[in-house]
Parts: sequence; C-alpha cells; structure tokens
Amino acid sequence: MSDNVLIVDDEKEFLDLISDRLEARDMKVSTATRAKDALSLLDKESYDAVVLDLQMPEMDGLEALKRIKEKNPDLQVILLTGHATVEKGVEAMKLGAMDLIEKPADLSTIIDRIKRAKAEKIILVEKKSEQRIRDILTRKAW
Amino acid sequence: MENRKLPDESALTFYSRVSASISHELKNSLAVINESAGFLEDIMLMAQKGRPLDPKQIGTLAGTILRQVQRSNAIIKNMNRLAHSLDEKRASIELTELLGLMVRLAERSAVNKGVNLLTDFPESAILLTTCPFYLETLAWMLLDFAINNCGGDKTIRLSAALSGSGAQIGLTGFEKISMDAVDDFFSGRLAPLLTILNGDLTVDENDRRLAVMLPETVSQTSKT
Repeated sequence: MSDNVLIVDDEKEFLDLISDRLEARDMKVSTATRAKDALSLLDKESYDAVVLDLQMPEMDGLEALKRIKEKNPDLQVILLTGHATVEKGVEAMKLGAMDLIEKPADLSTIIDRIKRAKAEKIILVEKKSEQRIRDILTRKAW
Repeated sequence: MENRKLPDESALTFYSRVSASISHELKNSLAVINESAGFLEDIMLMAQKGRPLDPKQIGTLAGTILRQVQRSNAIIKNMNRLAHSLDEKRASIELTELLGLMVRLAERSAVNKGVNLLTDFPESAILLTTCPFYLETLAWMLLDFAINNCGGDKTIRLSAALSGSGAQIGLTGFEKISMDAVDDFFSGRLAPLLTILNGDLTVDENDRRLAVMLPETVSQTSKT
C-alpha cells in the first residue's frame, strides 16, 4: 500500500514540485497552501504523515500542529522550516511534532521521515487496538 | 522617561528581524530551486531508462528556476540597499524610495498576518536630509505596529507627502488607535528615534490615522 501524505506549504511551486517527485515514487500526495485547508482535508481523509511548513500566512505551522494533534493525536507531523531555531524546534517537539527538517532538504530525507512517520503511526494504532481488546476481555465475562 | 531605550537597540532589533525574514525568504526560494534540480535529475534518470525527454516539462522547470533566481536577486538587492543605508549617518534620501523598501521588507510579516500593505506616494520626489538608517528603523517599527493593530479589512495604507518645509508619513487602516496604545506597543523605543530624526508623531483617534512629521533637514545637533 502506498504512503499517503499531506504536504502543507504556502509556496505553491514548492508544493507542485515535491508532490510530483513523491508521486513518481509511488506516494499518494495531497497538498494545501493554507493550514486551514489542511485541517479540512484531515477531516475527510486519513494520512500516514503530514509535512507542514512552520511559517505560513494566517495560521502558522505550530498553531496548525496543535490543532492537528487535537484532532488526531496519532498522526505524525514533520515540520519543514526555512529557519530552524533551537527554540522553535523544542516548542515543536513539545507540541508533538515527530521531526523538524530544515529547507532546502533532500528528498531522500523527507521520504525517510515519511516512512518513519507511517511506521510510528502503525505502532500507535496497533497499541491502541491491543489496549481496546484487553479492555473488552477484562470487562466481559466470556 | 524611565524605560526609554537607546535608538541603537531598536535599530539592532529591526536589522536582526529583517535579516531573519530575508534569510527565510531565501531558504524558501532555494527549496524551490532544489526541488527543480531534483526533478531534472529524476527526468534524466527516466531518460536513461528509455523514457523520452519532454521539452515542455524541461522548459517549465527552467522557467521555475529563472523566476526563483529573480526572486532571490530582488531579496538580496533589498538586503544590500538596507546594508548600505548605514554607510552615512546623515545623507540626502528620497522618502518614497526609502518607504518603498521598508514596505517590501515588511511584506512577509504582513502576509503572515493576512494584511495587505498599500502605498499612496506622490509622483514627485520628496527629498530629505536625514539619518537614513534611523528613519528606516522608525518606518519599519510603525509598519510593524500597523500590521499588529490592523482593522477588519486587513489593509494598511502608507502615505508620504510634502508638508510645509518637510514631509509627512501617514498610516491608516487601524482597528482603533490612541497615543496610549502607541506608547504601550513601543514601550519607550519610539521617542529616542523621533528625537534623533527631529520627528513629531501625532495620532488622530477619529480618523484612526497615525502621522509623523519630518523636517527637510535633520538638525546637525542630533546625536548622529
């Protein structure tokens, strides 16, 4: 099954190029130029990972990250930034970002993080399913 | 004034924030160039495997790279002009040119807040003899204030006009404005700059307008 990723960046040309290149590598890619649009897409579809630009108009990446994590705590978010400061990195990690990549980044690095994000999400979902089954087993008298 | 800050402190803050914004813009541009180069590599690898080259696709990528080079060049030009404004502490400047540069430098910050910056400048030149870097610092600080106190239509208008023997810079588009709000926002950083520039700031609460009067020639006794 191909990786399903959502990329959010206000640079339209960057989005077009990276999505073409990822699609050529058998990934399913959705894009949004605004965090608001990304949040709407997340309501409609399930993604393996979100690649999110830190600095965007209206709602910035950290605010978007907060809202994504509120909606879907298991979803792995990779932040992309033009200027990674230590403070921003720490803040992003505290808010639950999986990683922070500085622009311009190698495609191989981005792909590697997306794959890791997908694996991480699968582990989290499996753990939750296991927990649910255990809860059912302890509650019900079979 | 107790919490009066040194003008150089404000100038340094201005310079560092603009530098950060410029480097961010350049990184964005480099990211697009980087992806374009990567795409060309992808095309080349596919061509080696027998897929025919698509001249239209290559032309589109070349166009993207050219646009980003022009964008980066414009960003660096702005940075260079700003850096050179420190060459002379007191110099003759054309006000609308200086304000135009500040609008371009504040654009990213405005876009991030969803604010449009519009200018209303006269056709004729407004020549002043002033301290260019401090005037840039002042203009940028006022734009920063306007962007952060913008009204519902999310549009800030910056104007410049000849006034008496000097010039007037005007800003409109505020949600509401008062001298207290201006003082609170700048917490003592504005007054030293106005003193150096012999400037006079006024606020019209009814018209929601902020104006700064500047003399044709800044006094020689100013701490330049």
